[in-house]
Amino acid sequence: MVDKQGEGARGQSATSAWSVPEGRRTDEWSQCVVRIAEHRDRAAFAKFFAHFAPLIKAFALSGSSLSAAHADELVQEVMLKVWQKAAGFNPEKAAASTWVYTIARNCRTDMFRRLQKFDTQLEAEDVGFELESDEPTMALHASRGAIRVRELLGDLPQDQAQILAKVYMEGKSHSETAAELGLPLGTVKSRVRLAIQKLQVFMEAGSEE
Amino acid sequence: MQGRSRAIGQDRAGQFKTMITHHPDTNTLTEFAANSLSCAQSIVVATHLDTCELCQQRLAELECIGSALFESAEPVDVDASLFDLVLAKLDEVEEAPAANDANASDLAWTVKQVRQGNLGGLNWRKVTKTLKIADLGAIDGAAEFSLYHIAEGGSIPQHNHSGTETTLVLQGGFSDETGSYHAGDFVTREAGEEHSPAAIAGGDCICLAVLEAPLRFTRWHHRLLSPLLQLRAG
Repeated sequence: MVDKQGEGARGQSATSAWSVPEGRRTDEWSQCVVRIAEHRDRAAFAKFFAHFAPLIKAFALSGSSLSAAHADELVQEVMLKVWQKAAGFNPEKAAASTWVYTIARNCRTDMFRRLQKFDTQLEAEDVGFELESDEPTMALHASRGAIRVRELLGDLPQDQAQILAKVYMEGKSHSETAAELGLPLGTVKSRVRLAIQKLQVFMEAGSEE
Repeated sequence: MQGRSRAIGQDRAGQFKTMITHHPDTNTLTEFAANSLSCAQSIVVATHLDTCELCQQRLAELECIGSALFESAEPVDVDASLFDLVLAKLDEVEEAPAANDANASDLAWTVKQVRQGNLGGLNWRKVTKTLKIADLGAIDGAAEFSLYHIAEGGSIPQHNHSGTETTLVLQGGFSDETGSYHAGDFVTREAGEEHSPAAIAGGDCICLAVLEAPLRFTRWHHRLLSPLLQLRAG
């Protein structure tokens, strides 16, 4: 493993995306969720809420697709799901931040469909895929990767960063993104691919170690 | 070793893992990760993911990117009263029944059956001697959302598409002008591409297919699309 290689004294060494200190798998947010699950710990829940509710609200308001009232409703829904689903969270398999992101993503999709009165009998969970790999390395990569990816996002060229934000934060399809930015669909597709390639290089580098 | 031999014979019996060689592209999987595919397309991708470990890994990475963006968003203040509201509801949700199977819609049930490979109970209709189709229901984003069952030696008449067709092979395999596809393979046909898929020898072929717009049979075949149609093999 990569644990200490070249890292010890310098803390923030840039040797590898994965040379994050051990113990990372139980980051404070993951511990929070575990405490919520095991002890129905309301203090842990309050702490989790204080950190994530403003992020969920930001996510809800991205692309100004939801009103402030609906954004608050989304925060409620997501946080109640966190409480309900905490027992199903496995810190060995995913980072808590990724876990709550996928809950927020699905709740928002369902809210969109409700508000647009889509005649659909399906919820996001019915048509989604919940990663449940027993491959611990996968989760390791995911949880360590999140930190590194966050650092790398800042290095993306503006045009690619803008498109990733539309795609992920605003939940726009590639065609919607193309229409909103007045770009050909092919351009949007290639920018997404380029951006993801850059971010993936680090994840792949990690998985080979 | 003959290049064509491939361990696909057993998938009807025991769903042996076979090498999946055709996967959703990065753009499709990214849209899936961000929940921006249509429902119908999401189901096809999700069903592919059910058996494809490679794409599960890819999805984990793409969700990781989503989560990184989520975490680096500029936080928006939440009124303190919202927390109290949520706290007050915790006991309520605690007692809420977790089982959502009971109130799942018919379509949700059908999707579940398809993803679990329970295809016998679906509403199959016989189109030709060698072709059966089960329509899975109306769903947003798709003109057609169905399962195709091509008996060994059978084929689907040559057709082109006015919209994108996304196909996932569930059992057996098929071949067309562009190549051969086997269980787990995810195949996209753009509008305008003509093809006539035929089941590969060795068993029946079952595919899940989503068509963005109605399939158009090329002209001289069109009239053959009656229930009396007899397809010639190959």
